[in-house]
Amino acid sequence: MFKSVKNKPTLKPKPIEDMPHTKLGMDYNVWCKTQHGNHKWRNIRWTALILVNLLFFASFFLDLSLLEGSLSGSRAMGFYLIDTYNALQVILISIAGGYFTSLTMNFWIGFFTIVILSTLGGRTYCSWICPYHLLAEGAEKLHNYFVKKKMIKEHTFNIYLRFVFWVGFLLLALFTTNIVFENINPIGILSRSITYGPGLILLWVLALLLFEIVYSKRFWCRYVCPVGATWAMTGKVAPITVKFDLDKCGYCRDCQDVCLVPHVLWFVQRGKATQEVHFTGSDCTRCGLCIDTCGGKALSFTIKGVDKLL
Amino acid sequence: MAKEKKENSRRQFIKSGAVALAGLAILGGGVEYLRSVHGPNDTRTPYFLRPPGAIAESDFIFGCIKCGLCVQICPIDAIKLAGISEGLAYGTPYIDVRTQACDFSCDSLQCVETCPTAVLNFKQFEIAGGNAIMEYQKTHDVTEEGFNPFPVQIRAMKEQVKMGVAKVNEGSCLAHKGQGFKGVSRGLDFDGIYRSPENIHGKASPLKDREFDREICDLCITECPLGETAIIASADEMNAKITPKVLDACTGCGVCMMVCPTQEPSIIIEPIKEDSHV
Repeated sequence: MFKSVKNKPTLKPKPIEDMPHTKLGMDYNVWCKTQHGNHKWRNIRWTALILVNLLFFASFFLDLSLLEGSLSGSRAMGFYLIDTYNALQVILISIAGGYFTSLTMNFWIGFFTIVILSTLGGRTYCSWICPYHLLAEGAEKLHNYFVKKKMIKEHTFNIYLRFVFWVGFLLLALFTTNIVFENINPIGILSRSITYGPGLILLWVLALLLFEIVYSKRFWCRYVCPVGATWAMTGKVAPITVKFDLDKCGYCRDCQDVCLVPHVLWFVQRGKATQEVHFTGSDCTRCGLCIDTCGGKALSFTIKGVDKLL
Repeated sequence: MAKEKKENSRRQFIKSGAVALAGLAILGGGVEYLRSVHGPNDTRTPYFLRPPGAIAESDFIFGCIKCGLCVQICPIDAIKLAGISEGLAYGTPYIDVRTQACDFSCDSLQCVETCPTAVLNFKQFEIAGGNAIMEYQKTHDVTEEGFNPFPVQIRAMKEQVKMGVAKVNEGSCLAHKGQGFKGVSRGLDFDGIYRSPENIHGKASPLKDREFDREICDLCITECPLGETAIIASADEMNAKITPKVLDACTGCGVCMMVCPTQEPSIIIEPIKEDSHV
């Protein structure tokens, strides 16, 4: 689906008189920066992320029973939620260990609830809930600063590396009958540290962050994390996504600069778009940074199908 | 130009993919190594006492998703999560019975019921409880006054638990020395709580609130939530010494170990190594 849109013949780049800044009679460089400093969605998202993780903490510490457990498995007001990738590993090793039939109804409820949620919003989990994302955003800022000062070089990898890890960790779970991934999963580690108190294992998370700062930007989220990859896979059909109006775009590519997964915004480059309207692909974490920064407001959150009704 | 770029990115993908696979292989090897050091074949490392219903340690430690729901639901905070110093057991739940025993005062084995995976396996308790209700219904009629199968169900579920087995250390046991015990068992600083059999329908209360006065110390016997099917006073005919004797019904809940007044506990729980449940 994604491929076919990308392979269609491209539309002609807009002539200068159709560019949004000319219509407004503004200088191009001034126009590009009109929205800089706008952090509406980032602030909403950070608030949501911190609140969710605080709720885990408060539920345990104050015995609120609202959101119990941690991000690898939890219960929201009595309703089970289980991380899909964790659940896949549990299914595999319970078959290997011979206790598959003992998996509870609550397990299946939690598993399918998350699968259904992810088909609605794709990787929204990553930027709106995952505590590692917040830390990695800080690490990314530092990384960008060092790159700008020419103190370090940028290293990128192929984004499909995630799927090597995705399959690899599953096979590892099957062969060792051990949920190996959960031992090194920074999401689970941070979530447990928030809820049940910190431990020495946080050094691993720190090492990951340091690696991201000095070597490769957002290394874990972009190239490794099988949890994010799972959300992206089931989120291929997600209706909640980011919409792009070519009409309002000024080709400045500021959105790609702030994006965690810039390849989802492939159509913003001059002469790349194949349609008047594009939607971001399944890797998009719906973080809203591109929406905040866009001078022409060409990008916006949307619900496919519903937006036409409104 | 574009072709060359594509070729380059393909080569880079294969290269980084190979590094990734090597990393995963090292990780897998590391897990196997740690398992061989800390695994069930190693008798040097003490086992954790797992919450009720835990499947075999070798499966448990690797099947647990470390969500901590069992920790949250326990009304007496008996369950804790292991730290990183425990190697592969990191993040898995355990019970330190000397600090806080599992006294079954929740009356429903909530930790097992709440476990989203099956590493705390509720099925066996469901079956045991169900059978007990069926037995009860054979001798009691629904129309009967006071028809209430739940106590027998709860009892049957508790009896099904097999976390470990208590073992008496006769060297330090007060009863074995013929000594009594008077006072607060673990001192006034001790925070552990439990439900005494004297108060079978009440809530768990602090051990420090209870004063004992026994001619011959028998706290482990009188405070056992399972009662005389699990532990009894056994008199030695030869020298008239009395020692606690652990019987088959012992669940390893650890109340005896928590209430034991000696400096080092004279009764300890040995976790079940092999799977008794699936």
